[in-house]
Amino acid sequence: MARCVETASPILMHHLLHMSVFSQSFSPCGKFLAAGNNYGEIALFSLSAALGPDANELSQKPILTFTAHEGPVFSLLSTDSHLLSAGNGEISAWSWAELIKKCLCALPPSLRSSLEIPEINAMALNPADNSLAVGGGDNNVHIMDLENGAFKSVLQGHTDYIHCLSVRERASEVLSGGEDGAVRIWDTRTSQCVHCVEVYKYETCARPQHGKWISCLTTDSDWMLCGGGPSLSLWHLRSMSPTSVFPLSGCQRQATFYQDMILTVGEGQCVSHCLMGGEVKAQIPCTPHSINTLAINTNSTEHRVLTVGGSSDHIDVFTNLSYKAFSLRF
Amino acid sequence: MGAVTDDEVIRKRLLIDGDGAGDDRRINVLLKSFTKWCNSPATPEEGFTQHQRMHGTLAQCEFSMLKTLMVYDMNIREMENYEKIYSNIEENITSAHEKISECKKEIQRAKRIRKNRQEYDALAKVIQQHPDRHETLKQLEALDKELQQLSDIKENVDAKLELRKKQFHVLLSTIQELQQTLDKLPCHFPLDDDKLETDGNNQESPMENGE
Repeated sequence: MARCVETASPILMHHLLHMSVFSQSFSPCGKFLAAGNNYGEIALFSLSAALGPDANELSQKPILTFTAHEGPVFSLLSTDSHLLSAGNGEISAWSWAELIKKCLCALPPSLRSSLEIPEINAMALNPADNSLAVGGGDNNVHIMDLENGAFKSVLQGHTDYIHCLSVRERASEVLSGGEDGAVRIWDTRTSQCVHCVEVYKYETCARPQHGKWISCLTTDSDWMLCGGGPSLSLWHLRSMSPTSVFPLSGCQRQATFYQDMILTVGEGQCVSHCLMGGEVKAQIPCTPHSINTLAINTNSTEHRVLTVGGSSDHIDVFTNLSYKAFSLRF
Repeated sequence: MGAVTDDEVIRKRLLIDGDGAGDDRRINVLLKSFTKWCNSPATPEEGFTQHQRMHGTLAQCEFSMLKTLMVYDMNIREMENYEKIYSNIEENITSAHEKISECKKEIQRAKRIRKNRQEYDALAKVIQQHPDRHETLKQLEALDKELQQLSDIKENVDAKLELRKKQFHVLLSTIQELQQTLDKLPCHFPLDDDKLETDGNNQESPMENGE
């Protein structure tokens, strides 16, 4: 922020002050991080420069920033060769090779598809049949075939907009969680809803003071984590029963399974480490006051870091899970 | 290349000379005194003393030569020792690296095991909440028995009901027939007993016919 005081105008400072990072994605080689914010911009950071021995303040700034969409970029996803970004009703695909080379001057995205979806909140990749599940404001989940960009099917059933998606690879199913408080499990082959779990109806999880919406969903093929209005809870998918409820006070926005732990972020100013038994092992403080996204770089072994972004223009980077190493700045 | 080595040689010679100034000078002095002694027409005693003196210097030179030889041997042995230590340390380093990677693998395995254990625990918690299978089976058996008893009772009651129905049916039908036969026959007031008997006989035969 000191650099900004020196060089930036008050408008830029205002811009940075109100920035929120909504989504992140690592490149397939694991050396770059793309982050999307509420202004529709995507910034590309070089991890090898920021983590290298001669890193300085400049290496913590993006190597490339461009405006991808008019509205906020709520969701970013990386395939083997492309970066998919979702804006207001459109999905754009940017080639990673070209982004890394920074020749963005003459580049429209490789693919842009427009739909009548008012806002796209979540995207999930199903590698089994190379399809993309897209969930948004029209209460439906759309499945798009990545090879030709055409929409294969629509999964209807939610009564309110969809917050989050997850793919259960082993059983070829898509899980979706929405504002209506229901987690629905869809079979991708028959496009039918196999299960519908209304989390707020279970007494152990429900928190009526927060609401019934589900904003955080992730699955491990046998287990599922879901949270939001209701407390974050771990569910066993075969028996569809909640096994543990985590005593975290805020509403959780993103959670992930990592080795034997569960990492989760949400309304508090910290990353919570929890064990599957239901206890909160540690809460690591970070910069943003309210965190929207958490990502672990599994594509690279030497740059295996955890990054979190939220209601701040800083993206915290953790090289060791126990403490924050440094921050990347927009 | 030649210039460098020359410089090195010069430097080395200067160093040696600086230290062993005594030795070099001693050799030169010995040489000079030897030539002087060979060429001098001095008396035998002086010659003898000079000779002795030269032996002394020679002995000194030999002594210092031995010393340097021993130092040289010592240096060689030190070098060997250091080489050994060096290779030892290298081996230790490689084995430590291997141990580190082994330990890392162990950690991964242990984490996986811990994750599995936690999953078991979580499932066990859920399973505990459900009632025991033996108890449920016992309850089921008890219920079955009750059901059996109740159905037996029901059968008995049904059978009784059937029997009663049949009996009442028989009774009612006989009453009805009696009624009919009574209606058919004209009803005279029984003034004489003969008529009553004949009526009685007449009644009996239709009843026999009726049955």
